[in-house]
Order: sequence, then C-alpha cells, then structure tokens
Amino acid sequence: MSKLTRETLNKIKQEHAKPRNNWIKVGMSTCGIAAGADIVLETIKQEVKKRNLAVTVGQCGCAGKCYAEPLVEVCIDGVPQVIYGNVDKKSAIEIIERHVANKKLLNDHIYNVKGK
Amino acid sequence: MSGKNDKKIILVCDTDGKQREADYADMITSVLSEEKLDGQVQVIRVAELGIYGQGVIVKILPENIIYKISDETAIAELVSEVIKKNKTLKESVLEDNPKQLKIVLRNCGIIDPENIDDYIALDGYQALSRVIFDSSPEEVIAQLKISGLRGRGGGGFPTATKWNFARRTEADQKYIICNADEGDPGAYMDRSVLEGDPHSVIEGMIIGGFAIGADKGYFYIRAEYPLAIERVQKAIEQAREYGLLGENILGSDFNFDLDIRLGAGAFVCGEETALIASIEGKRGCPTPRPPYPSIKGLWGKPTVINNVETLANIAVILLKGAKWFAAIGSATSKGTKVFALTGKVKNSGLIEVPMGITIREIVYEIGGGVFEDKKLKAVQTGGPSGGVIPKEFLDTPVDYENLQKLGSIMGSGGMIVLDEDDCMVDIAKFYLRFCVDESCGKCAPCRIGGFQMLNYLKDISRGKASQGDLLKLENICNSVKKASLCGLGQTAPNPILSTLKYFRVEYDQHINDHRCAAKKCTDLLRFVISKEKCVSCGMCSRDCPVNAIPKNENKEYIINQELCIKCGKCFDVCKFDAVIRE
Ligand SMILES: Cc1cc2nc3c(=O)[nH]c(=O)nc-3n(C[C@H](O)[C@H](O)[C@H](O)COP(=O)(O)O)c2cc1C
Ligand code: SF4
Ligand code: SF4
Repeated sequence: MSKLTRETLNKIKQEHAKPRNNWIKVGMSTCGIAAGADIVLETIKQEVKKRNLAVTVGQCGCAGKCYAEPLVEVCIDGVPQVIYGNVDKKSAIEIIERHVANKKLLNDHIYNVKGK
Repeated sequence: MSGKNDKKIILVCDTDGKQREADYADMITSVLSEEKLDGQVQVIRVAELGIYGQGVIVKILPENIIYKISDETAIAELVSEVIKKNKTLKESVLEDNPKQLKIVLRNCGIIDPENIDDYIALDGYQALSRVIFDSSPEEVIAQLKISGLRGRGGGGFPTATKWNFARRTEADQKYIICNADEGDPGAYMDRSVLEGDPHSVIEGMIIGGFAIGADKGYFYIRAEYPLAIERVQKAIEQAREYGLLGENILGSDFNFDLDIRLGAGAFVCGEETALIASIEGKRGCPTPRPPYPSIKGLWGKPTVINNVETLANIAVILLKGAKWFAAIGSATSKGTKVFALTGKVKNSGLIEVPMGITIREIVYEIGGGVFEDKKLKAVQTGGPSGGVIPKEFLDTPVDYENLQKLGSIMGSGGMIVLDEDDCMVDIAKFYLRFCVDESCGKCAPCRIGGFQMLNYLKDISRGKASQGDLLKLENICNSVKKASLCGLGQTAPNPILSTLKYFRVEYDQHINDHRCAAKKCTDLLRFVISKEKCVSCGMCSRDCPVNAIPKNENKEYIINQELCIKCGKCFDVCKFDAVIRE
C-alpha cells in the first residue's frame, strides 16, 4: 500500500462506495462473540463454500441490539435486506438454504428490515 | 438496495411480545389462501420491527408501510384492499418514528472495523483531509465551539475550551490522549465504538493533534478489552500504511502518530491525572488539579484527554457542519448520547439518542418496556458516580443539567432500569462497595469515609442500624463529597444521597421494621417451605450447600433456620414456588 494523498483518498472512497449486493455480515463484537457469533460466522463461511454460492461473507461491529445477538445481516438480490437475530448454527444453515439459495425470508428471526 | 422485488411480502410482528391465542401470521395466510393469493404473497413472522406496545402490526414490502392489525376485520381489509387492489389504507397507517439517532455509532454494525477502505467509503478521513488542506487549527476549534460539543466521559466539559487551553499553552511537545478506560459497572459504550469503528476515534485524535499542535497521541485502553485493543492496533497499522498517521500526512507537512497504552483495570485510572501517572509508569493515583492536564499533563506537557465518544463525534461535526450538530439536542447539551441500556428492560443494548429525549421514550419506545411487564421503580444513570431517577421524573428530557438537578449525572452512559424487585439500599450498597474496592487510598476522606459509609449501609441492610446511624451516614456522605481529592471520592456518596432523597422510606423500613420490601436484603428474610405447595421433589434439599433442608419422618422438607445461610439456592431451584421468602 502506498501513502495516500487527498486525491487517492477520494479515489478509494469512490471505488469502494459503489453499492454491492450479495453479501452476509456477522456482528463480531464482544457481545456478539459471547453469544456465539464466531461459530455462526464459521458455519456461514462453510455453507457458502460447500454450496459454491457467489456471496461475500464479512464481519462488522455491534449494531446495538445486544439482546438479540448473534446478529446476521443478509443482502441478496431479489430479497429484502434484513437483519436476523438470535442466530445459532442451525438457523445459520437455514439462512443459507432458505434466504440465500431459495430467496425466501425466515420466520421468527428478523429483527430489522433495511432499505426501501 | 434489495434489487427488483415486486412480489409483496407481509411481515407480521407482535409488538407486545405477549402470548396470544391466535397466530396472526397463520390467520393472514389462511385468508390469503381463501382468496387464492397465497402463492403470490409471502407471510413472515418477524421478531421485531423497532416498534413496541402497539399490539400486532404488519409491514408490507416493498412499499414499506406499517399497519396496526387489531382483529379479523382488519385482516380481511388488509387482504382485500392492500394486497388485492394495491391500495394504501391511509387512516390505518402506523408512522414509524425512530427514536434513535446514530452519529457516534454511524458505522457500528455497518462497516468491517478491520478494513480501512470500508471506513473511507463512508466519508472516512474526509474531515481530516479538509481540515489539513482547507482549514486551520483556530478554525477547527471555532467550529467545535459553535457545535457545543461537551465531553462524553462524564463531566460534560466543553471540548472546544479544553482544546483551546492546550493550543494556547506554549510548549515544545503536546499530547492528545483517548480515555478508553471505561470502568463503570454495566457500561460498554466505548468498547463497542472501538470494536465497531476504531477509525472514527483515530480520525478525531489526528484532528485533535492538528488543532492543539500535538504530534503524538495515546490510546489508554483497559487490558480487559482484548478485542478492542486488537482492532485499534490493526486500525493504527492500516492508517500508518496509508500515510494517515506518521510523517507528512496525506502529503502535507503535518506529522502525527499514535500508540496504545494498556490500563490494568483500576477504575481510578480513568480519572485524568491518575491516567497520566499510569502512562508515565507511576502508580495510578490522582493528583490535585490545577494544574489541569491541558496546561501541564503527560510528562509535564500540555495534554488533551478526551473520552472515546467525544472523539468519535469530531469528524462528523467538521464534515456536516457545527450548526447541523448544534441543532440536535437541548439548549445546553448538543448532539447525541450513547447509552448502554441494561437492567430490567426487555431490549438491553447499545442505543444512541438525541439529547433532550425523555427517559420514558428510552425505556418504553426503544427498550421495549420493563422486563416481564413489571413496574418500573427508577432508572440509574452515571454508575457509581451517579444516582437514581424515580419514575415520577420519567418525562424529564435527558441532558447534563437536568440529570444533575435530579441528583444524578449523565455519566459516561450506563443506564440501568430498576423495577419493584430492586431494593434501593441494596443498590446504594452495590455502588458504594465498588467505589470502596476501587479507591486508591491516597486521601483519608475517601479511604476511611468510604469504609465507614459501607459499614453503615451493611448494618442498615441487616436491620441492625438506628435512625441516628442514618444521620451519621448522611453526615459522612457530605464530608466525603467535599473533602475527597478526586472525582471518585467526591462522587462516591451520590448513589446513597440520591436513593435517600427519593426512597428514604425504604431506608426507614429496613431500620424501623427490619423489612426489605423488595426481598433483596437476605439478612432480613427467612426462607420457608410452604406445606401446601411442596411436592416433596427434594430439589432444594439436594442443592442446599449447608444441608439445612433434611427430609423428616413424614417425608416433609422443612428448612432448619439455625443452619440456613440464606443463600437463596432453594428459592431459585424450586419449580413449584414452594420456597417462600418472608
Ligand atoms: C474515578 C473516575 C473514573 C473515570 N473514568 C473515566 C473513563 O473510564 N473514561 C472517560 O472517558 N473518562 C473517565 N473519567 C473522566 C476523566 O477524568 C476525564 O474527565 C474525561 O476523560 C475527559 O474526557 P471528555 O472531556 O471527552 O469527557 C473518570 C473520572 C473519574 C473521577
Ligand atoms: S478520592 Fe479516593 S480514589 Fe480519589 S485520590 Fe482520594 S482515595 Fe484515591
Ligand atoms: S436459603 Fe440456601 S442455605 Fe438456606 S435452606 Fe435454602 S438452600 Fe439452604
């Protein structure tokens, strides 16, 4: 990585700011990890790999809903962008099967709906 | 964001979280299938939509409109009008009026904290670049002054004034320190910011360095926060690689670098003079002020110490404008405050609200109300330096001055909801014990006074104190407040004084009637087994640590009061509510 100037900083901003679809994010702060987010993240990574899905799996910090950790945000083409809460290994697999592969939402686990 | 999606989705949410006889999602599905619409519409039961106490609601996607659904007629109307005819039922639309406003937490839960490009994509380091190339230190401080930003570490000192002191003091070397010692029980706001968005704090520190004329900064983070430390470390390294830290930042002639210093977890090390001593490698003991750190701080040099949350505000203020920030909040307190909402509240978590919001809105509209729908008794703010705000004042707008008037403080952001099962003597004892444990012992009022206050509180909770003792306790409180050297001792009596102010009756009950109405003070309780309810399962007997519950010849379990140490195990394990506290 080279040192940035004002111009190259703006270039990174523009390149990186393009809206992207088809990603999953797991909240990996202390509150999330304490509730098992690391297992959920690992499970999701494995399932995505196993099924060869074109989905990026990433991590983020605490979104505030500590009572519903682990939180998993899913943004997939053609399905509303939602945050699932109280996710465990089993529901993580369900998210991949139902939401990512079959483009259907899951019952009882949605804690927030994003976007328009 | 979600791409093309014209198929309707009905999200069904029970905002009361109560047990209902009918499952509204099933009811809607069956009406849909009668109308042969079930193939075209997805019905999903959701856990939450950020709205509470409104019964059953539905959110229709992709239109994003919320309706309240009270009965079968409403369901029929929903299906026939909204789904079939694609109409909007204007009269029944429920406005979603979000109470939270995220400025400090703008990126938390959104970006990958370990990827600097994520931060840059969302305007990260734009404020820094503007400040360096288009502005001046004086202008930055002038902007902060207009914004009205006050320190979020508890004291609420105007940030611009602090920075200006350090700027105006001549010195060959100056420092800026981020105070991430966060030691109040129940508080984790700063940890979440560092774990979720470390660059926002780093950017604030670099700008601070530019404004006061410092080229060196330190993060002081408690060692119990390993993940925060790791993320800040990674963020510093990435910023260095990009030339956002180090020499000639962004190609300018401004130099600034950052290092991390770890705190060993002593609460008093969050106090600024103790923190400085700790970084200097000395014992973390406070020293008298003045001189204030902004004049004479780390290694005798002018030093600005700011809280994590204060620093996370800086870049946004400079980017969006001081006036924008000053328009948020109350007359004396601008912007937002992050709280760790915990205790007997349904949705405990990290929230950020505009100053001036009422406590009622926080507890009921963000927190979803009191756990198990019990009665709220009070809300504790400010941790061991703060106090309780009783339910009569739930409609008070939250700001520095209002909370102080009520005998509490804003503090760093702990907010604990207390219900009818919480005993105020017990709460005061809990916080005081914390302060006594954490006192550095340097000055007598705090060291000896704290010990004495705790003894009186213990006696009160055992029903072994007199009204005279209570007066003595009050006296000591006032002396410790006045005579202690640092903020720890000066504020340690606050939880006692504030519970006494509003809940003196509870103290009186303990003293005069030897009774703890909340059934918390175990010394005033007896555990007994109700003959009617006991099914002789023997659970309590097995779990009692002192074998105080033998089975008698009639196969009955009776607690031997001589042996019982009142640990409460039997009360907790009995599934038949047969163990009674009286
Ligand atoms: C006992 C004690 C503990 C403190 N702990 C903290 C802390 O953990 N974090 C913090 O930011 N400020 C803490 N403070 C306040 C600091 O001394 C200082 O006022 C603050 O960091 C200034 O930052 P601000 O102006 O941005 O609020 C504490 C004060 C006392 C007396
Ligand atoms: S008030 Fe307490 S913590 Fe502060 S210097 Fe005195 S003894 Fe130490
Ligand atoms: S309160 Fe504890 S010690 Fe007493 S009887 Fe119950 S389990 Fe035994």
